[in-house]
Amino acid sequence: MSFTHLNVSSAYSFHFGTAKPDELAKAASSLGFDALAITDLNGLYGAIKHIGSCLNQNIAPIVGVRLNVQHKGTVTILARGHNQGTGWAALCRIISAAQKKSKKEVAISQKDLAALMKTDNKANCTILLGPDSDFGQATILSNATEAAKKLLEWQELLPYKSALAVEIVSHLTEPGTNYSTMQAKRMLQLAKTIGITPVLTNAVRYLEPDDALTGDVLDAARHLEALGLFDPQPNAQAWLKPASLMEKLALEITESKTLALELLSNTEALAKQLRLDPVSDCGWSKPKTPEKSALGIEGNPFEVLWQKAHTGINWRYPDKSEDKLLPIRHRLHQELITINKLGFATYFLTVADVAQMIRDMRIRTAARGSGAGSMVNYLLGISSVDPIEHELLFERFLSTERSSLPDIDIDVESARRHEIYKAIFKRYGGNRVTLLSMQSTYRGRGAVRDGGLALGFEPDQIDEIAKSIWRFSARDFRGMLGKKPELRALAAQLDTDRRLNLLVDVTERLDRLPRHISMHPCGVILGNEQLLSHTPVETSGLGLPMSQFDKDDMDPMGMLKLDILGVRMQSSMAYAIREIERVSKKSIDLDAIARDDAETFKQIRTTNTLGVFQIESPGQRELTGKHQPTEFNDLTIQISLFRPGPMKGNMISPYLDGRHGFIKPDFIHPDLEPILKSTHGVVIFHEQLLKILNVMTGCSLAKADELRRSLEKDRKFVEKFFKENATKRGYSRAVVDRIWSVLDGFGSFGFCKAHGAAFALPTYQSAWLKTHYPTEFLAGLFTHDPGMYPKRLLLAEARRLGVKILGVDVNKSKDEYLVEKTPDGLAIRMALTDLYGISGAEISRIIENAPYKDLADFYLRANPGRATAKNLALIGALDQLGTNSQDHTRGDVLERVRQLSALKSRPKLTKDQPMLDFDLIDLMPKGNPEFTKELQLESEMNLLGMDVTDHQLAKYQPMLDQMGVVRANELVGLRSKTDVLVAGVRVATQSPPMRSGKRVVFITLDDGTGCSDATFFDQAQERSSHVLFNTRLMVVSGKTRRTGVKGVSVMAENAWDLDQLWQQYRQKNLVAVEN
Amino acid sequence: MSADTHTLFIRTLVRINRALRGKQMIRVDESIQVATNQAGEPVGFSWRNGSYQVITKPVRWFSRKNWWDESARAQRGIGAGVLELEMWRLSASKENSSPAQFELIHTEETNSWQLLRVFG
Repeated sequence: MSFTHLNVSSAYSFHFGTAKPDELAKAASSLGFDALAITDLNGLYGAIKHIGSCLNQNIAPIVGVRLNVQHKGTVTILARGHNQGTGWAALCRIISAAQKKSKKEVAISQKDLAALMKTDNKANCTILLGPDSDFGQATILSNATEAAKKLLEWQELLPYKSALAVEIVSHLTEPGTNYSTMQAKRMLQLAKTIGITPVLTNAVRYLEPDDALTGDVLDAARHLEALGLFDPQPNAQAWLKPASLMEKLALEITESKTLALELLSNTEALAKQLRLDPVSDCGWSKPKTPEKSALGIEGNPFEVLWQKAHTGINWRYPDKSEDKLLPIRHRLHQELITINKLGFATYFLTVADVAQMIRDMRIRTAARGSGAGSMVNYLLGISSVDPIEHELLFERFLSTERSSLPDIDIDVESARRHEIYKAIFKRYGGNRVTLLSMQSTYRGRGAVRDGGLALGFEPDQIDEIAKSIWRFSARDFRGMLGKKPELRALAAQLDTDRRLNLLVDVTERLDRLPRHISMHPCGVILGNEQLLSHTPVETSGLGLPMSQFDKDDMDPMGMLKLDILGVRMQSSMAYAIREIERVSKKSIDLDAIARDDAETFKQIRTTNTLGVFQIESPGQRELTGKHQPTEFNDLTIQISLFRPGPMKGNMISPYLDGRHGFIKPDFIHPDLEPILKSTHGVVIFHEQLLKILNVMTGCSLAKADELRRSLEKDRKFVEKFFKENATKRGYSRAVVDRIWSVLDGFGSFGFCKAHGAAFALPTYQSAWLKTHYPTEFLAGLFTHDPGMYPKRLLLAEARRLGVKILGVDVNKSKDEYLVEKTPDGLAIRMALTDLYGISGAEISRIIENAPYKDLADFYLRANPGRATAKNLALIGALDQLGTNSQDHTRGDVLERVRQLSALKSRPKLTKDQPMLDFDLIDLMPKGNPEFTKELQLESEMNLLGMDVTDHQLAKYQPMLDQMGVVRANELVGLRSKTDVLVAGVRVATQSPPMRSGKRVVFITLDDGTGCSDATFFDQAQERSSHVLFNTRLMVVSGKTRRTGVKGVSVMAENAWDLDQLWQQYRQKNLVAVEN
Repeated sequence: MSADTHTLFIRTLVRINRALRGKQMIRVDESIQVATNQAGEPVGFSWRNGSYQVITKPVRWFSRKNWWDESARAQRGIGAGVLELEMWRLSASKENSSPAQFELIHTEETNSWQLLRVFG
């Protein structure tokens, strides 16, 4: 007898299920099941993955949801199949309706459920009333009459035979409790009496009994309580049992062979009706783009696209002569033919429409990704780099060899991203648009945290452990214990601490499980009018509806996803442009500036690239020093080189050697010279690989991209294809073999040049702004904080560049870092926003009511909270209000604020008395001491997180000088392999993937003169394990290592906590004095 | 006992009481020898020099253990034995005496039996 599981919670029932859909489908198939359901709590989060996995395993998918029905318990609702999608649509809309009630409690009313469940007086879904339904509960808690009443109520509401089934489950729990055989018997009996079909399920939540332990830990995470503090699951029976065990269960419940058989055949009969046809029921892989009317076009979409693209030629190439336009037209026509063949015209028109809308909103945009390789995208204004000039290939982006919708990603100003989302909803209508969601999964730290919670660890202890989990998968937590120096202390405790030992095990169990759904940072789904019949939606944090599907579900569902990514650098640049216009009345079109400005490249070559897009990280700065870029294409190359692939593939050194003329590039064959010339014989880009395959085998570029994609999975096939065809075309054996070894080594290591070029544009633009308008540019960086470094490092950079910073002043500061004209030129006025604890309301009041005449006036009209008033005084933001007479110190100001704060009730302003004279109440105090420099710095660090008036390290200078610590800007003058000590504030810690697989840790320290980069290999990591990841102020010892003309880094030998050294130093000095 | 553990304890007690309303319970916790039929169901056992015959069909169910309080490890693949307990509830009587309810624990791996509680 065959069996089908109709109630299966996957790991997408967050904090409940433990198995992923593909694992379940695989197991089902190997258990001999020919269909399998997925019924996750509150949504279809795993449904598309389930359908895909079922298709792979050649079993029939069934999809439903477990949902709370108001006052009626939890039921399972399954879509009925083979009804042209009415079941699927109803399921989607039922879930959306339940999600709409409130974010906290997902539930649907029984009435709404009944209304959504029928089409033409037929049920399009089937509800399973199981042990958790009101009926099931009544069989435990009340008498049979009560239970029967509940069941009759359901029947009355849904009088269609196929709408209801009673779900019989026994988890073999203690007799008389929920999920016991006794309950199953009672439910079965009532179902028969009343005439509702009973079916058997196992209410599955894990794959195997062993997973029940994982289930316990997930229960604790869901309850937010330690194990032992809540009712745990009764046992480990909720697993995907094979048919034989389900038959045994049926027999145990019915105590009759005939009745057992009847129960099982009922189940099979219902399962048959629930089987979905992915294509006709769910719209599997059918493109769902907006209708023409929604895009405001008439006629054939392809003709419209043709027209628009040709119009773009005049816009993009206004001065080109007709013969120069020939290759452009040729390229365009090739692309259009492909687009037409694939039927993607509407897709491109949609993206172009959105891009145009964003430009009309005067928001900066740039394309990213392989889409930059398309001439159509360039002409439609979707991308801003010329694919012919930069040798980018369309085939890398789109080809007839693949039919999935391509990804076009648009970068926009991050600060205005939500404005764009709202505009898209408005333009296309709420029935055609939803945001995309994102599944976050447990990674190391999250897994330790929730594992620790389950086992009842104190939060502090867990924090300590979580911090030491750095760049490794928690799945191998135990294996890593012996390998990572920073875990050594933890490993030593395991032998004696049983709970800690368990923590390692449960952490491994949690790793990679989905934990919750959230709004995707940039995805928007654009569909046709029926979108909400294809995907359930819930409310996002932004308030706009969000699909329950994630990015991997888009392609199978034929859904068009636009990535509109907020990029802080775009906001920073837009801000700089606005400040230039506001203060200097100059208007700049950043996209139109020449891309060969010598000053800009000179500035980049100094490696002072802090704040410049993509090339500000320590590694990129080091590479900049070696590379010394001189033109736009160099930036494309450099950005592409500094990626995990090319780094692992060891492409950097041969490229640099070729570039600096240390070695003569070897093109292997003259045919390859034009392809590899710009990269000195090194294959860096996917585009180059495509061209090599194209030239040597004669295959099309589209085919070449397919070969590239299969290089990793099916190497042998590509090798055979390449060798055979290249030999046929007359290349010698030696050449063919050598080139194959290059291509083979390239593997997955290369980078898409279109990505690189698309990134190089904002890189160049930000470097240009930094070179020519450093004050405005830094103001933008301060305001939008785009980089990887803390703001205090930007302050250090401003000091280094001679850009003047003006402290917070309540009379002048706003909620942005404004550029201010001073007698000495332009300066940046710090904003109010970075003050610790200040509220948005306080900021608005301070700005609205400024300027203030004195402290009392400020206190009265800006009405700041006591803490804020005091904090403002401490950082000197009130100095200008107290020191008009020049003989008041900041100490006086602080005292005055204290006096004002001490007033029991603040006098209220009235119409007749707009100003109260506080001076009558008390006078400005006098004679309090001025802040010492140290106290000033301390207040700034504590309250702003920035050392405004001086560098944080200043305090330690006497000790550092005595120790002979070298400053960052002196490093460049030292010989290689000099023994040095460097000190500073940690600004970055990185551990990029290395070719050898060994871990290398890069730590960047700022000491006010610049940044020093220290590299820690194995032994150094061992020695300094206690400070490696956690200590903020550090001293590092090591040897200098020259990395290029302008680059020096420190090969670390050891590291210490600066504050600890300072304590010792002070103690020693005290001792010295005493002696 | 913390307040929460206490609540849980009370809840468990309430549940047990509900299941066995009006009966007296003695906790025993002793290893015993059990005779089973082909289906693995107990048919009789000896306890404290008495021989008991099972007189109704015994009910098997599964309970659980708090592995986080007891187990040294909980790694993937350790098996549900760390978590689960096989329980049997049955009516049995000694010669010439009235029947009582017994609760037995069966450990599959060692095929050993333990008499947990008696309700009379």
